[in-house]
Amino acid sequence: MSEITLQGLEKRYGETTAVEEVSIDIDDGELLCLLGPSGSGKSTTLRMLAGLETPTEGEIRIGNTDVTDQPAYERNTSTVFQDWALFPHKTVLENVAFGLKMRGVSTDERHERARAMLERVQMASHEEDDPTNLSGGQKQRVALARSLAVNPDVLLLDEPLSNLDKRLREDMQIELREIHEDLEETFVHVTHDQDEAFTLADRIGIMNEGELIQVGEPDEVYENPKNRFIEGFLGDTNFIDGEVARASEDAVHVETGLGSEIVLPAEREPAVTEGTELTLSLRPETLSIDGSTTSGSEHERPMMADGSAMNAVVGTVENVLYRGSTVRCSVSVGGESVFVERSAGNTETLTAGDEIRIEWNGADVLAFHADGERVTF
Amino acid sequence: MALLTNTASLSGSLGSIRESLLDQSSSNRALLLMAPLIAFELLIFVIPFFILLRISVAGSSTDHVFAEGTWSLEAYREVLTSDLLWSIIGYSFQLGAIVTVLAVVIGLFYAYAIWRSTGLLKSLLLFSVVLPLLTTLVIRTYAFDPLLVPAGLVPGTVGVVVAQLYIVLPYAVLAIYSVMATTDWDVVEAARDLGASRPRSVLEVVVPQVMPGIIVAAVVSFAWSVGAYAAPELLSNDITFAMHVEGLMLSDMRYPEAAALAVVMLGLMGVCIAGIFTVLNRFGGDFELA
Repeated sequence: MSEITLQGLEKRYGETTAVEEVSIDIDDGELLCLLGPSGSGKSTTLRMLAGLETPTEGEIRIGNTDVTDQPAYERNTSTVFQDWALFPHKTVLENVAFGLKMRGVSTDERHERARAMLERVQMASHEEDDPTNLSGGQKQRVALARSLAVNPDVLLLDEPLSNLDKRLREDMQIELREIHEDLEETFVHVTHDQDEAFTLADRIGIMNEGELIQVGEPDEVYENPKNRFIEGFLGDTNFIDGEVARASEDAVHVETGLGSEIVLPAEREPAVTEGTELTLSLRPETLSIDGSTTSGSEHERPMMADGSAMNAVVGTVENVLYRGSTVRCSVSVGGESVFVERSAGNTETLTAGDEIRIEWNGADVLAFHADGERVTF
Repeated sequence: MALLTNTASLSGSLGSIRESLLDQSSSNRALLLMAPLIAFELLIFVIPFFILLRISVAGSSTDHVFAEGTWSLEAYREVLTSDLLWSIIGYSFQLGAIVTVLAVVIGLFYAYAIWRSTGLLKSLLLFSVVLPLLTTLVIRTYAFDPLLVPAGLVPGTVGVVVAQLYIVLPYAVLAIYSVMATTDWDVVEAARDLGASRPRSVLEVVVPQVMPGIIVAAVVSFAWSVGAYAAPELLSNDITFAMHVEGLMLSDMRYPEAAALAVVMLGLMGVCIAGIFTVLNRFGGDFELA
């Protein structure tokens, strides 16, 4: 039984608050990712779970036990640290066997179990090595084996992949996912990398400035962000500022710097009135582009069958950036700059100065109040 | 094409020659940098040591400090068979061992305190280590007299141990702290996270890492305390070998015997320090507690 409950968890250092009123229930066997920029309090939250940091306020329960005041060495949690923190004066095998040694397991048995764990992470041939001579990826595996060897109720991962290069990081993400599925243990993984969180997580908890803003399944938080911060943090997007021109029961018209009104379909009487300031988010994947502009089409706004509105604008390509698999174009539309993406495989090449037409479905546009809160219509 | 390959191989071999030249010049440069130190050691230690060695195998003389040009092992026979000398040697080593153990243990705690403290407290702790070094050793040691006499510790071995400990402790602390300062706190957290209690985590991961500092602290404390002069001279009636050597040379004028005693002590010290290295190095990695 290793479900975790955090209740009103807070950590203050003098005047500064690192973590503010974090409450969350983590299910047994779940892989939760705490995602946030640096300084968002995600690592501090993890350290409080590990017992390496004492909460100023609030309660931590693991299983049915209140562990708030339990020191790290009495908790059956195990942490994989960002820089792995391997013991430099012990061999790889001794590192992995360390937790069992502290639990009073005999030398033969703990070495046998440590070997099995090294086998699990494909490091069996390195058991006599000095950990300081290993590569980053190998250290990461040893650190993981060391933490798993004690058979923890909860495995805590504090950005252990952030020091690895991209390819290795992606391999390790898949491997971590597999290990999690095998062990059926509760994992809490801290990261600032949204791709990593999407790859690994059953649920993602997004933190900013010490607060846990939203918890949900990856697609849920991506498609239904609670506020503007999450929308901006979970991927690249175009934020366009505008003002409500007209609001009716089935559509909200927003005046923006793009030169024409953007129409957002509404399902009920909208909570905005004429003059309300909004920020709209246009994700590049919802924008389709058409290089052959046909004059006159920009003022047509056909309503779709489901009531959503197709929007279209024409702009001039300012610059083109090759990003490997995709090509990103920065397009000047009216007074605003909007970026769009297309697959690099597309044979139609775009160059600076080209006129292009950008289209999107108004239903894909998210709107946020000036204070960052999401507005739904 | 052939020309091209030739040029390539030529530049390759030239490169390797240049590299080996660089290697050599860098080792030469290191030697050059060490030259003043080597000259200093030769002048201050090696040459006087050979003079000492020579005197120790010279015969004694009634009107001179030793009989020049003669050869004799009489002084060694005297040293090795005298019960008095063996008891003096024993006392010196006993003093050295007690002070060393205390200095290393207290030094380890003190260094840990400096390591874990921050800001003003850290500066204060570091400053108080250095502070005693600003007073001359004799004054510092004399100051123990009025301090320890009321407690009945002077004259006596306890008083000598306290005073000698006070002399070597700053060096022990600095030797251990200098290594500890370079170690990461992370590994201690990792040890606690894996179930090591506070003392156990320090013993398991901090002590092995600071072992080079502990070895330096132990050797400095031991060498200095075995050869202690000021503290036993000022605070006790017991005689250490350094005091006895002084007596042999300045009062008895028996240079060969004094030199022989010094050579024997040097040999014994060498053995002890090698022993300290071997034993402590064993604790550098993973070790079993009894």
